[in-house]
Formats: sequence, C-alpha cells, structure tokens
Amino acid sequence: MLFNSLDFAIFLPIVFVLYWFVFNKNLKVQNALVLVASYVFYGWWDWRFLGLIAFSTLVDYTIGILLSKEHAITKRKLLLIASVTINLGFLGFFKYYNFFLENFVDAFSFFGTQISASSLEIVLPVGISFYTFQTMSYTIDIYRKKLEPTKDFIAFGAFVSFFPQLVAGPIERASNLLPQFYKQRVFKYHDAVNGLRQILWGLFKKMVIADNCAYYVNMIFNDSQDYSGSTLILGAVFFAFQIYGDFSGYSDIAIGTSRLFGFNLMKNFAFPYFSRDIAEFWRRWHISLSTWFRDYLYIPLGGSKGSKLKQLRNVFIIFIVSGFWHGANWTFIVWGFLNALFFLPLLLSNKNRQNIDIVAKGKIFPTIRETISILVTFSITVFAWIFFRANNISHAISIIDEIFSKSTLSIPSFYAMGRASSLIVLLLFFLFFEWLGREHEYAIEKIGLKYPRIVRWLFYSFVLFLIAMYMQTEETPFIYFQF
Amino acid sequence: MKKLLKSIVLFIPLSILVYIILICFWGTLLPEFMSPNIGFLKGSYGHTYSRLKEVKDFKKVDVLFLGSSHTYRGFDTRLLKSEGLSSFNLGTSSQTPIQTNVLLKRYLEKLNPKVVIYEVYPKSFEIDGVESGLDIIANDKSDFANVEMALKLKNIKIMNSSVYYYFNEFNTPKFSEKETIGSDTYISGGFVEHTPANFRIIDHNSERIEINKKQLKQFEENIKMLYDKKIKVYLVQAPVTSKYYKAITNNKEIDSIFSRYEDYFNFNNLITLSDSLHFIDKDHLNQKGVLEFNSELLKRISLKKLEKL
Repeated sequence: MLFNSLDFAIFLPIVFVLYWFVFNKNLKVQNALVLVASYVFYGWWDWRFLGLIAFSTLVDYTIGILLSKEHAITKRKLLLIASVTINLGFLGFFKYYNFFLENFVDAFSFFGTQISASSLEIVLPVGISFYTFQTMSYTIDIYRKKLEPTKDFIAFGAFVSFFPQLVAGPIERASNLLPQFYKQRVFKYHDAVNGLRQILWGLFKKMVIADNCAYYVNMIFNDSQDYSGSTLILGAVFFAFQIYGDFSGYSDIAIGTSRLFGFNLMKNFAFPYFSRDIAEFWRRWHISLSTWFRDYLYIPLGGSKGSKLKQLRNVFIIFIVSGFWHGANWTFIVWGFLNALFFLPLLLSNKNRQNIDIVAKGKIFPTIRETISILVTFSITVFAWIFFRANNISHAISIIDEIFSKSTLSIPSFYAMGRASSLIVLLLFFLFFEWLGREHEYAIEKIGLKYPRIVRWLFYSFVLFLIAMYMQTEETPFIYFQF
Repeated sequence: MKKLLKSIVLFIPLSILVYIILICFWGTLLPEFMSPNIGFLKGSYGHTYSRLKEVKDFKKVDVLFLGSSHTYRGFDTRLLKSEGLSSFNLGTSSQTPIQTNVLLKRYLEKLNPKVVIYEVYPKSFEIDGVESGLDIIANDKSDFANVEMALKLKNIKIMNSSVYYYFNEFNTPKFSEKETIGSDTYISGGFVEHTPANFRIIDHNSERIEINKKQLKQFEENIKMLYDKKIKVYLVQAPVTSKYYKAITNNKEIDSIFSRYEDYFNFNNLITLSDSLHFIDKDHLNQKGVLEFNSELLKRISLKKLEKL
C-alpha cells in the first residue's frame, strides 16, 4: 500500500479510529492491532512475503531470548552469527544473488573460462533492506548487553513490522522504538496535529516535488544521448530534488503517521542540501542508515581511532558498503566510493566536524562564504547522484563526458518547456520553506505558529491545493522501495 | 481527541472552499502550463462541443447512436433521414462506457429513442476513460453526473476539471466552434464528415486487447438502463482496416463477450471494404466507406420495422 494512494487514505483513518476508540483500553490488544494493520499494509503489496517478515521476527525474537539466557561467550557469538547469517542470507539471496552470479561469470570469462549459469527471476521483497537492519540491530544490542530482550512477542512483532516505517524507514533502533510498545500511549492533540502537518509536507515533497522532477529526470536520463550537457546538468539537479523529495517525503509521512498513534520515530533527514561540506551532508542525509553503519560497522572497525590510514580504510568501507546497501549494481558502489573520496580532504585536514551547527542559525540569509560552501557541496553531491541514477557505469560516464563538453554552454532544451518552468517555480517555493524551517524537525513545523489559526489553515489548504494541481494522475511508487 | 475532531470538521470545509477558489483562479488567470491538472479541452478534436450543444435542442428521435469516434465518423444521420427516420449521433472521442453512462443520464429521457445503436469498439473498453471524460466535462454542462464520473475514474484531473467547469460555467466567455475544422465538417445531428481521402496501407504489430473489467461492468449497467426503458439495442462493431483487424489477436474472444447480448453485429466480418479506398486511417472510415457501411447496416437491422416497435 502506498502512502500516496486512495487505499492508504481509507486505511489510515480506519486504523486510527480502531486504535484510539475501540482498542485503547488494553495495551496488548492495541499492539495486536498495530501488528495486524502492519501485516495488512504490507500484504496489500504482496502477501507472499509476509512469511519472510514473520520468519525474521520469530528468529530474532527467539535468538534474543536465548542470548539473554546464555553466558558463554562462544555460544553467544554463535547465536549472533546465526541471526546475522539468516538475516543477511535472505537479503543476499533476494537482493544480491543475480549481481554476484553475473559478476562471477564475467570474471571467469575475463580469464578465458566460459561457465554457464542462469540468473533467477527474483522479486525483491519491498523493504527487506530496512526491516532486516532493524531486527539485526535488536540482536546485536542484546549481544552487546545494551538491551534487554523482550518476552512480549506481539510487541516485538509490531516493532519489526510497524507499518509507517516498515518499507522505507527510518531504520529504528530497538532501544528507541520497542520500549514505546510497552507503555500505554496517551493521545495528545499537539502531537496529532504535528503529525498531520508533517504528513502534509511529506505528501507535498513526494507528490509535487519528487514526482514532477521524475518526469524530466526519466525523460533526460532515458535518452541522455539526445541532450546537451546543460540539459543533462539540469536532469541531475532535478534528480537530486527527486530523490530528496521522494525519500525525505516518505520519512515525513512515516514519522507523522507514527505521531498520530503516539509513537516517536527518529529524524531521518535534516535539510541536507543546506550542508556546507560533505561530512555535514552525511550527518543530515538518511540519518537512520548513516548512524546504523556508524554504530554497527564503523565503530567496531575502529572508527576514527588509530592511524590515519586505518581511519581512511574505515571511511571507504562504510561508504562503499552504504552504496552497496542501496542496490546490486556497480553504480551504487561507485556512488559510495565517490562520497568517500569527497570526504577524504576533510578527514585528512581534521575538518570533518567543523560544520556541526545549523547554517546561518538565527539569521535570514547565509554569508557569502556559507552560500559558496552550500553550492559547492550541492554540486559535488549532484555529481555523485549521476552514478546513482544512471543505468550502468558507462551510461554515467557518457553523461559526465557530455557535461564536460562545449554543449554545456548551450541553453537547456525541453520538449515541454512550459511544464518545466512551472516545476522551477514549485522548487523555489519548496526551497523557500525548507530554508525558513531549517532549524526545526521539518520545514513547516513551526511556520506561522505566531499567526492566528485561520492563517495557518489557509496555508495548509494552499499546500493541499498545490498537491491536487501538480500531482501525477497515476500513483507513483517511492524510489527507496526498490532498495 | 474531541479538539482534534472539531479541528478536522472545521478545516475540511475551509480547505474545500480554498480549493474551489484557487481552482477557478488558476484555471482562469494563469497560463495553461501552470494548471497541468485541469483539462482545457473546450472545442477540442471531434466537434464534441457542437454535438453536445445541439443535442440540447433535440427532442424525441427514432434512433440514437452511442460510442467512440467510430460512431460520430461512422453513422451518417442524413442517410437515416432519407429513410424517414430521425436520429442523433451522440458519439464522442474515445467514449468509454463510463462516459456513455453520463450522456445517457443526461439525454436519454429527452431523446427517448426507439432504438439505440451502440458502437462497441473494443479499444474503448480497454482504456481508463480519462481523456474522453475530460472531453465531456469541458464541452457539456456540469452536473452531478460529472462528480459521479470523477469518483468512478478516481482521477484528480477529472475532479479538478469538473470543479473548474462547474464554477466557471457563467464566467467563461462565449465560445463558438467552427463548423469545419481541417478536413472535418460537423453535420447537424452529430455526424462528422471527413473530406474524402485515401489511406496508405501500413503493417501493424499484432496486439491483444484487454477488456477493462470496470468498463465492462459499466457497459452492462448501460445496457440494463436501456432494456429497462424497453429500448431496442443493437451492438455494432464498425469496420476497421482489414490489416489492423487481423493484427488483433483476440477478436474471437471479444466477439464472444458481445455476443452474450442479443443483436450483435461485427461488421469486420459482414462487409468487405478496401483498406486504401474506404478509410482515412487504420480504424476510421472515410465518407465512401461510411456510405457502404451504413447501407449494409440498414439492410441488416431493418430500421424500417421501427414503426412496429
């Protein structure tokens, strides 16, 4: 079920009413409702993969309990390895089987040995990369004795499959989300309104910004050979906004929906395109994944401790693995590698934590220096996005080749210039509010709170109108569903 | 919770009001490309505006034609007139059963036909009906049937356009459509005559037509509506070029669907026409083809027996 579908618009109020009016007396029953609703939500897409989530839930629930009873280090390690192997085994099979097989065959043929192996028609279960990481963090935290295992199977099942964030995150930590299933949730007007407001902004980001950018991005990237360098640059910039609008829009809807049910999810995006360097960008982009890799990969590898060479190795590992997490394609690996390269000068000069604060905090405009830093960071990010969006490495190289040619000096061309100009107006509107709201959880969280309620409501109505006027007429899935 | 429900109850009418005001403002004052989700199709292809304007002045007819462009390009009302029968051609571009339903609700009572000739071009059962819906919304009156159609199609463009045309009906400057647009001439009674032209035969890739269940269900409701009023219904498939017809792989399956109803005539099997001499494109007849087709049609369905009905 898509957040931007009529099905969800019907599903959400039904679950909301049952949750607060029918099952509000008993916590266990309320959790059971969340579990059932989550399975319905997921099963709407493809019920066949519900078994996979149920199995993953059962495995980590059991291993969690066994870990708490086991004191022998070797046995504890074996249990952890079992959990990680099962989870990564599923992920590896569904997501990476064909990739490894094809590369294996290619490698052999490179050395003159022809082997025949046929790839499988594997359907990637939506959200497998997200819930796998979420359940793994639970077991790892118990292994590290940072978390007590739960004996409440319903609560654990609801934690793993919690429908707002099941298919595209934020990837929650058990230490944050699971305890929320143990406590009686209390309805708070402010939280519910805040949630609705965040859902509205998330829908705007997805349905207006991302989907309209997607129209041009697909047009330009699918026939990139027909376009000038300047048009290809514009295509890459549109893709930067498409992926941001799409993914952060999803996160906003997920967090907002959770608020409606009395849950607090972690922040996943913090206005990354206003970053002044790539290190800041990565502290603000897909925060739940970046911190996951930091806690469960980077720090165990030694993190920023040890020699510079070791630090560099760790940075490259984490970025490349992060790239590979996105998909079984060399383009994602190169994208991760490029980001590591951009990070390199900051690490070597110990400047990777120089921009911790919010840019131009308390001011309306940034300084010239800040503006230049933002633009440079945005440009290199866009450059890396070319690899992320391209079909393969040679496609990305051909685009970059054209961008560094004379044709970049020409005016960008469009078949439907009119619609593109309306998109540019929408992007300016979007950036204006993102800038105004950059000190808050999401752009419109505090916008207009000083003014009478009618003014705020008129603004929200206006945003709703923009969605109705500029949304695509067909439902479009979120990009991150494929990861 | 009460406070939230109260806020929602107050917010919904306000947002609807803002939506209506902004739809009218956007559609009227801003350039078309700034309003991508409003269909500005007034006076568009197929003389829908002229036809739906004229039907309002028509009273009782003997024969009513329904269907897609194959209808308004395929059934010449003048030929029926020469046979002493009154008729109206209510075909519109890409008309699907969902649009047919809207038109029946608006004009069936008024026209009160003895016979309906319903053209069942399979392609019009395959599509969603959004573009043809916009065509009717832009060129006809606004009423609840439009809202019903918007809900059936679950399409925001249809919804926006319905609202825009409903509230802008009195605001729109007087519109008139030329009688002749390009090679098309509008003939009183709904028919569109295409200046004779020949068609250069081309090959077609084979294709399968998937009948949309939603459209089929609506079609059955339309038929029931006509049967309930004791109107004689003939289902007709107007001829297309033989090359194109042969390229469709599931013609038999389609015939079996429509044969469930009495009096179904597939003229692709009943008449032999020349692809190059009788068509303007792969699936529309030229005037020469229309004459051949209509005379065969009159032979087959014996409209003269109407007096007995």
